[in-house]
Amino acid sequence: MELASARQVEPVNQALGTVIFSGVYHKGACPLPCKLLPKKYFEDGASCAWSRGNQFSVYPSSRVVAERSAASSCEQSVLNIKQNVLIFSPILRKLVNESNGTFLALQKVAEPIHNSDNLVELLKLSRQYRSVIRVCIENLQDAIENEKEGLKRNELTTCLTIFYSIECVWHLCEILFIDSIPGEIVLPHLLEWVRFNFPCHEQVAAQILEACEKGSESHSEYWPTVIGMIVQGRVDVVRALLRLHSKGDLNEFRLVDNTLKTMPVYTIYGGLSTGDFMINWKHWQTECRARLSGTTFSSEPHLELIMRLIVGDYSAFELIRDRYESWFDLLGGWVMFKAPWARRHELAEHAHACAGMKSRMPDHNRLHTIVLALCEGDLHQVIHEIQQVADNGWFATHLTDILYHSGKLNILDRHQTNVANRLRESLILEYGCMLMEHKSLWSVGLSYLGHCPTEGIRRAEILVERLALHSEKRVLRIIAEAKKYGLRDMACVSSRHASAGRAGAALAWAVRARSAALASRAADTLLRRYVATRQLSATDLLLSLGSAMLISDRLLLLGKYCEFHRLYKKKEFKSAGKLLISLITSKIAPDYFWETLLLDTLPLLESDEVILSSVDTFEIMLCVEQCSKHLDSEKADLLRLALTRNLARTSLAIERTEQNQTS
Amino acid sequence: MPVDVQGTFASQKINKVRWIPEEYTETKYFFTGSWDDEVNCLKVWCIEKHNEDDDIEYPQAISEYKLNGDVTEIKFVENNRIVLSSSDGDVRPEHCSCTSVDVLEGDIVTAGEDGHINMLSSRRGEVAHSIIEADSCSIHSICYLKQNEIITGNVRGHMKLWDLRSPQKDKYVASFLLNENQQAATCIVHHPTQPHIVLAGSEEGELAVWDLRINTFPASAINTHSGSINEMHFHPDNPQKLLICSGSGNIWENNMEMMIRTSKNKDNQSVTTWMQLEDKNKIVVNSLMPNLHKSINTLDIDRSRILCGADNEAVYILRNYAF
Repeated sequence: MELASARQVEPVNQALGTVIFSGVYHKGACPLPCKLLPKKYFEDGASCAWSRGNQFSVYPSSRVVAERSAASSCEQSVLNIKQNVLIFSPILRKLVNESNGTFLALQKVAEPIHNSDNLVELLKLSRQYRSVIRVCIENLQDAIENEKEGLKRNELTTCLTIFYSIECVWHLCEILFIDSIPGEIVLPHLLEWVRFNFPCHEQVAAQILEACEKGSESHSEYWPTVIGMIVQGRVDVVRALLRLHSKGDLNEFRLVDNTLKTMPVYTIYGGLSTGDFMINWKHWQTECRARLSGTTFSSEPHLELIMRLIVGDYSAFELIRDRYESWFDLLGGWVMFKAPWARRHELAEHAHACAGMKSRMPDHNRLHTIVLALCEGDLHQVIHEIQQVADNGWFATHLTDILYHSGKLNILDRHQTNVANRLRESLILEYGCMLMEHKSLWSVGLSYLGHCPTEGIRRAEILVERLALHSEKRVLRIIAEAKKYGLRDMACVSSRHASAGRAGAALAWAVRARSAALASRAADTLLRRYVATRQLSATDLLLSLGSAMLISDRLLLLGKYCEFHRLYKKKEFKSAGKLLISLITSKIAPDYFWETLLLDTLPLLESDEVILSSVDTFEIMLCVEQCSKHLDSEKADLLRLALTRNLARTSLAIERTEQNQTS
Repeated sequence: MPVDVQGTFASQKINKVRWIPEEYTETKYFFTGSWDDEVNCLKVWCIEKHNEDDDIEYPQAISEYKLNGDVTEIKFVENNRIVLSSSDGDVRPEHCSCTSVDVLEGDIVTAGEDGHINMLSSRRGEVAHSIIEADSCSIHSICYLKQNEIITGNVRGHMKLWDLRSPQKDKYVASFLLNENQQAATCIVHHPTQPHIVLAGSEEGELAVWDLRINTFPASAINTHSGSINEMHFHPDNPQKLLICSGSGNIWENNMEMMIRTSKNKDNQSVTTWMQLEDKNKIVVNSLMPNLHKSINTLDIDRSRILCGADNEAVYILRNYAF
């Protein structure tokens, strides 16, 4: 947040907009159409200020602009710049929401109560994540097909590439860290991974096999496909393909076929120990080498290459390296023919061997680094790299979370303490906060923040308070969601209604929020309105408020006063009078309301029947004298007159009752 | 056959779903209305196969209509006309969020956050009559009981009965509080064949049932869900089945036979009795779908298929529902 302190942006060049952008924007994402700021912005200097979330505004700092009175020009002169979040696009929003469901299911599984079969569940969820990614890839492919416009098409293609590599890395990660592989023998899974992520040769092979014609070598892709299948360890496919060669009956072909047929296959349940298998394997390879040197493959260089590959000849692999985009296309085949018994932790050595093969275009892209780090088991490096992927942190967040819960994430800091939980939390926090900025995805964001034990709730409180409140339905939903995660109840709605002049609703929300201050404010509004218009509004609310009116004195006064009106209208003057006197004697009324309260006694004092006793009358007299400054003198005199008359009547009445009693 | 759930993501939170009814066959079309986004949409979807040889049918959006406010309700006035209410006050002349709409034989009644009730004529779409300041708080649900009687519920669960024929139209005839905690009344429905039986759901998952012939207020409420009851419908072909969707992400089927027993008394009048209070926590409910983690806002029923829309921006079609 260095920019927050950068007060003055010097009018350097017109492309300032872009310059600032590149600071905020994730690297590597699709190119953005950038907007140039008009030159007049920088004639007298420009300023910028942070606003909510990843957003800031640039505006000319000169006073001259402000003097131009038209409101429209003022609006134009403030330019809001915000980060373009890739995953807020409609296609990727599906991914965000669907993966959120998986994330939440994962948190449930990870709760300490369900410790029983965690790993099986985690594997299921990891597959679920992968299927979410797959659906997203398919959606992107569909969208690319339908998109005619070049620029958008490019954006989508970039996006598709990102998700292809995400899928690839996730799959490998699942094999190496989440799946429980019997005996840690990684080869079958590795081959599956290669096959799944690099399917081009398999498709051609399927075509050739389906055609099933002798002399298939006329197909331009015949030999590359055969070699490709060897590299992917698909021995049976290779044999089937070789049989379709027009010279398939020649000795050389028969020899290769036989060699492939007799190749020992290592399985953990095969009944052989690794040692025994290694002996078998060495034996077979020696035989292969003997055949290779004994037979002349000069007429069939392709067969010679195959033989060299299956004996694990490094130079042969290096020879075909340039046919493939990256070294990990070869990884499966290399492990298969070099050390099929390789365990997970031995993979690093083989990966390095493959990565070290000479190539015309050595690949130094991110995927290369990630896969290498994965094979080395360096998860810290993996996470560091995937954080750079331009998917707004989706991948890093979810992968780190699942690895953390599988217990495989151990990241040590300088003091040798495990900080994996802190890493997980910081990633989730970042991702959640980004989602909270979106008008609609806030609830998804909140569910991420709710699963950050140390800081999430506090941050959520701050962010939830800033959510815009458009309608009550949204408010109710926000409150329900906030309750789910134990956030403080929010009272901010009340003020919205107050500003809209709807005191009744404001009061209802204030009561709900149990906020004395807001309830007093709303009640005050209603009382003042009554003083001004003599119309008591929100009576339906006030009469059904019950004990809730006790939260503030002002509200209590309003509620009781409303009750007084109800009684008076029902002609229950005795109880109405009693209530009014208690309101007066309790002295909770604000200054502006005294006059109303006191004048309300007038009809009761003047009624035919005696309603207010002499004690009540004295109380009122006391108040009239104490509050004379709030009453105009004419009204005060009127009151005094009524009070004395009532006093006289009550004395007479008392005298009469006494007489009655004596007689 | 078990209930089969198919989810389709729509990239927007769904607030309302409605099947477009067909008389003799299962319909292929439905509406969705979104909420809580920058621009919201009313969309028409069609359930169809991607390719000729696919076994599974998928919903596809075929057209959309954009609006700024949230879609708060969709109801059919006639077979081919819908009324749609939105939070920017589209149905109403005032600029205040319209929260609920009910329709009866071509009459439309709307309620809003401003606490007014408006009656519209569907043909011209203009306000025929309104009750200003019907409630000092915002009204969240409204329902026709009869042609001339409506019931409203507000944000505090304050329910009011209105008689539109009475000379004092602007005064409610009866009122009560739905619950003691003053929770908002989120939806009201009446029984399709016994319109005197009224049900109201609250924000905290309480379901109140009462018989208007005996009382104008419910005797007690039943706790069903932990989240708000967002919408409930009786199955049109079997009025004993009540389907409820809730803010806690569940869609449940309740059997009304368990809740209400109608018997005949000596004078051959039917008398409705409720279950004893102590049984109320033991109502048999069926969950139709695994919990969603996000609020299910809406549901609609077409024979054996149930459609529901949720805050996780997805529409779910439940097939093979036995009713």
